[in-house]
Amino acid sequence: MKAQTTIDLTAVITTPENIQFEYRIAGPFRRLPALLLDFAIRTMCLIAFFILMVFVGVAVAFPFGVMVFLFLISSFALDWFYGIFFETFWNGQTPGKWLTKIRVLSVDGRPINAFQATVRNFLRLADFAPMVSLEMFAADAPPAYIIPTFLVSLICMTLTSRFQRLGDLAAGTMVVVNERSWVPTNVKLEDARVVSLSEHVPPNFRMSSTLAKAIALYAERRSRISIGRRTELASHLAKPLLKLFNFRDDTSPDLLLCALYYREFVSKEAFSDAKRFAPPPTKDSTVSLLVNTLPASIDSLPPIMKTPL
Amino acid sequence: MRIAELLEKRRQGWLELERMCDSFRSVQYPFANKGSLVTRFSALYRAACTDLSMAEQYQLPPATVEYLHRLVGRAHSQLYRSRQFAKNKWLHYMSKVVPQSIFRDPCVKVAFVVFFGLFSLSAMLAKSEVAFPGFAERILGPEQIKTMEDSFSKPLDGNLNQYIFMSGVYIKKNTSIGLQCFALGPLVLPSLCALAYNGVVLGASFGYMARADVEEGDVFFQFVTAHGVFELTAIALAAASGLRLGLGLFATSGLRRSESFRLNAERALPIILASVVLFFMAAFTEGFVSPSPLPYFVKACVAIFSSGLLMYYFVVLGYPRPDIEREIANSDDNPWRTIGVDRAAR
Repeated sequence: MKAQTTIDLTAVITTPENIQFEYRIAGPFRRLPALLLDFAIRTMCLIAFFILMVFVGVAVAFPFGVMVFLFLISSFALDWFYGIFFETFWNGQTPGKWLTKIRVLSVDGRPINAFQATVRNFLRLADFAPMVSLEMFAADAPPAYIIPTFLVSLICMTLTSRFQRLGDLAAGTMVVVNERSWVPTNVKLEDARVVSLSEHVPPNFRMSSTLAKAIALYAERRSRISIGRRTELASHLAKPLLKLFNFRDDTSPDLLLCALYYREFVSKEAFSDAKRFAPPPTKDSTVSLLVNTLPASIDSLPPIMKTPL
Repeated sequence: MRIAELLEKRRQGWLELERMCDSFRSVQYPFANKGSLVTRFSALYRAACTDLSMAEQYQLPPATVEYLHRLVGRAHSQLYRSRQFAKNKWLHYMSKVVPQSIFRDPCVKVAFVVFFGLFSLSAMLAKSEVAFPGFAERILGPEQIKTMEDSFSKPLDGNLNQYIFMSGVYIKKNTSIGLQCFALGPLVLPSLCALAYNGVVLGASFGYMARADVEEGDVFFQFVTAHGVFELTAIALAAASGLRLGLGLFATSGLRRSESFRLNAERALPIILASVVLFFMAAFTEGFVSPSPLPYFVKACVAIFSSGLLMYYFVVLGYPRPDIEREIANSDDNPWRTIGVDRAAR
């Protein structure tokens, strides 16, 4: 487990394959719905069980004591062992977590085992503390301290870097976002002027990797941004670039960034420039070594990528 | 077509990996007896890992990089799955690891001394009415004494229906209290106070009922003898596990505080598991044996038998013997193992 490099809601995991990948960590506002859903499911189970018992009790002359026994046992088991059971056998997910697309993981990135699931679920009660009495809301209610305030877990989550509650700290686990992955799609550049403008960009202009990243981020998100806002956002980058390329000042900033995206990521012209694939000088030389010795995927890569230098 | 071509080439592999992840999600051991499947899966996984590590170099767009992070994450958690409760490991865990780690734990000793010490002290004080007049009355209060006397005024009788019913009630109520003791452990004081309170009150009740002039005493001891052994041990163990958990926050013994908390939670787990099992056994004894009109002799035998059982489990199996210690010294499920603790300390 590497230390987090950015102030971000990600946990970096280093796998045995020596690859680092990131998980997005789920915060309290993602986890509360899961908790409530689980509570609802448990309650529904109990109600269903109760109704079943009543029907069975009427149909078969079942002793009353046995039914109450079964009901109490099942409510006890649902209270304390529901989370343990599902997190152990569903690879770190309860039905509520599955619906809200989060998952419990060890902090080192491995799935949790039964011991961790037990510890973090037994300690749930401490995370709910301090409990508030019903009396606070209705004066004639019995003084039952049953309403959780979650203060302990909230404070604990704000103090830890991975949003861990007390049970997570004790079990060495964290909760990460486990959204279903989507298929990456290329950005649709509907405007025909994009292609023609990209041809006017000076051929010797080479993008830094951060600029390429910024432009890619912009191009991926621009379809969700209103036109006025696109101009406003793009002009920050576009103005100095327009000056650099000696373009007319009234060129649309949005169009310019799209053209750069097209030139960098889509256009065939980019491939003719073999130098482009040389590792950037800022990276250390081990990277290029890696490229040469990679057995798994080199064959299936585009031909130009086999010879990076 | 630079990016489009690259994505097109690699996408088939990614999609296949994703489909495999989907189909494995609900299967417990997806790779059992399927060598070719695991080969294919790990090949795809390694390829995706490579793509991810090269993402910076290929200048893949950020959305694709994020997709790869998620894909690799999903595949990783399928490949490196949680170890389930292995059936052959269960016996090893229950017969060696649990008693050994409970026996060596100083917190268990402290909890036992506090609980049984206060219990016997309070029982003695409550029993000798002449030397300490009014002790039991002040501890228990007149109402509680009245309720207690009322509930044991009639000789024990019951039917099967009632026995089953009551054991359900005891399981739910008492085990929940034990687990609460564990959960409140990080705060230390609540579990110690609950332990001391239980010790004093239970001791006073036992002492009061043992007085010669209390007529209900006979029925009371008829009732409590059988399950008392399990129940009292379970209470002390539950508090001990809470104490162990809370101690981890303060006595870090050189580890980082969070790491020490995690390690001590691991050490508290066998104790609370043993306590839960004992609460269950106590509940069944309390439900079936205690309220039955069996002769006192039988109930005393049950108590002696259960004491022997506990002695055997916690003392005979738990006593540190070099061969067992060597056997479990490096096993994964032993919280006091020597390997891994230094790794955790890093």
